[in-house]
Amino acid sequence: MLQEVILSMIEMTNITKFYDNFRALNNINLKVEKGEIIGLLGPNGAGKTTAMRILTCFIPATSGSVSVAGYDVFEDSLEVRRRLGYLPETPPLYPEMTVGSYLNFIGELRELPAGKRRERINYVAERIGLADWLNRVIGTLSKGYRQRVGLAQALLHNPEVLILDEPTVGLDPSQIIEIRGLVKDLARDHTIILSTHILPEVSMTCGRVVIINEGEIVAVDSVANLEKAAAGKPAWNICIRPAAGKDWRQLVEKHAGAAISDLVEMPETHHFKLNLEKAEDFDDLFRNLTGAGHVLREITPVKATLEDVFLKLTSAEERKEAA
Amino acid sequence: MKILAIMKKELQSFFYSPVAYIVFASFLMIVGYLFWVILISSRMASLEPMLYNAAFILLLASPVLTMRLVSEEKKSRTIELLLTSPISPAEIIAGKFLACFTLYLVLILLTVQYPLVLSAYSTEFDMGPVYSGYIGLVLLGAAFISMGLFASTLTENQIIAAMVSFGGLVLFWIFGWAKHAFDNAFGQILGNLSIFDRYAEFLRGIVDSGNVIFFVVFTLTWLFLATRVLESDRWR
Repeated sequence: MLQEVILSMIEMTNITKFYDNFRALNNINLKVEKGEIIGLLGPNGAGKTTAMRILTCFIPATSGSVSVAGYDVFEDSLEVRRRLGYLPETPPLYPEMTVGSYLNFIGELRELPAGKRRERINYVAERIGLADWLNRVIGTLSKGYRQRVGLAQALLHNPEVLILDEPTVGLDPSQIIEIRGLVKDLARDHTIILSTHILPEVSMTCGRVVIINEGEIVAVDSVANLEKAAAGKPAWNICIRPAAGKDWRQLVEKHAGAAISDLVEMPETHHFKLNLEKAEDFDDLFRNLTGAGHVLREITPVKATLEDVFLKLTSAEERKEAA
Repeated sequence: MKILAIMKKELQSFFYSPVAYIVFASFLMIVGYLFWVILISSRMASLEPMLYNAAFILLLASPVLTMRLVSEEKKSRTIELLLTSPISPAEIIAGKFLACFTLYLVLILLTVQYPLVLSAYSTEFDMGPVYSGYIGLVLLGAAFISMGLFASTLTENQIIAAMVSFGGLVLFWIFGWAKHAFDNAFGQILGNLSIFDRYAEFLRGIVDSGNVIFFVVFTLTWLFLATRVLESDRWR
C-alpha cells in the first residue's frame, strides 16, 4: 500500500534572507499544521514582515525552502498564491475605488466566477462589518475601516492559508475584540499566521507563539508553556485592610523569604505585591494575618505575562551574544 | 480573465482622477486650434499638417497618461497585492497597457470629425492619406504607451517616470537627425530607429509593412522589458 506523505500546511526549512549585507532572517525552521493559529511575535525589525513576504512569494529567500499546502513557493508560486490570503502591513487599497468595486476587483484577480464573487463579497462584508459600507469610496474611510477592507480582501477567496501582518493595528478596542473573534472563528478551517508586537493579542488568539528576535527564532511554544517557563518565584497582588492599631508588615516579614514591594497606602486599605520563596508559605502567612484581625480583601496570583517571557528570552539572547 | 480585470480597474481609475479629463481637454483644444489655423492659412484640404502636429502633442501627453500606471502601485504598496495574487507580471503589464491604449484610441477617435469636415466640404479631398495617417497614429500611440509603461515600472515616483518616458520618446523621435549628421552605417542605423521618420511615411499615404512591424516590435520590446522589471522587483 502506498504511504501518503502528509506535509504540514506550511513548512519553512533553513530560511535565511539577506538584504544586501543585512541578515534579516537567519536559519528559520517552522512547521505549521492545518487549522493552527500561529502568532509571530517580535520587536519592530525582528524579521516578521520579511518572513511573511517570503511565505507569500513576494520576495524570495536567500537560501532554504518553503512549502505551502505542499507546493514550493519558488517552483509552484502560482499554486501557492492561489491558496493564500495576505494582509500586508499597509492594507493594499486603491483609494479612488469604492469598497464594493475594490472587492469585486480582488474577486476577479482571485479567479472567483461572477456569481460566487457576489456571494462571497456579501458574506465577507457581513462578517467584517462592512455590509453598509460597500458603496463608500475607500479614500474617505477611517484607518479602522481601511484595515477591515484589507482583511476582507485577504478572506474573499476563502483561502486555505491566511497571512496577516499586524491585523489589528489602527483599530479601536471594540473592533480589536471583533477581529480577534473573527480570527479565532476562521481558524477552524484555515491555517493562520499573524504577526504582532502586541503581546496580549497572541495570548488571546494564538495556539502557538513563535518569538523572533533579530532574525532568529528564540522560542516556539504554546502561550501557557511559555508563561510557565518564564514564571519565577510565586507572587501575589494583595489588598489588605489593616486591623486598627496593628502592624501587618511585621507579620509578613517574620516569614523567611517574604518580601513586600510596590506598597501603596490608602486611608482604608494597603496594596502591595508579595513575593515568597515557596507557594506553600502563603497558607501560614494567610492564617497569621487573618488571625491578627487584618482583612484580606483581594488576593491575585501574579502570572508571568508574555511580556515577561519576551523580555526574558530576548535579553537572554543579548547576554549570550555579549558572552 | 485576469488581464481584463486589471484593464477595467485601470480604466476606472483613469476616470476617477482628473488626469484623463485634463489630458483629453487640452489635447482636443490644441488639435482643434491647429486644424483651424492650418486650414485658414493654407486654404488646402489636407490633414497631414494636423496629424503631424497632433503626434507631437501626443508625445508630450502620453507620459502623463502612463506615468502612474505602475509607479503608483509601488508607492501605495498595492503592488504587494498584485504580486501575491495568482496573476503573472506579464498579465499585469498587458492589462495596464490595454487600458491606456483603449484610452488613447478614444482620444484619437475624438479627432475624426476633422477629416469628416474636410471630406464633406472639399471637392478633391483624398481620404487615402487620412486612413494611413490614422493607422500610423494608432501604432505610434502603442509605441508611446509601451515606453511610458516601462518607465513607470522603474520608479515609485511619477514625475521621474514621466521624465524618463518623455526623454526616451524625444530621443527616438529625433534619432533621424543622425542620418544627416553621419553619412555612414551608424547614421543609417540611428535613422532606422527614428519613430518620427517612420510615422511621416504613414502621413504621406504609405503603409509600409516594414514600418508596421517596426512599431509592433518596438511596442512589444518595451512591454517585455516592463514585465522583466516587474519580475525583478521580487529579487531585490
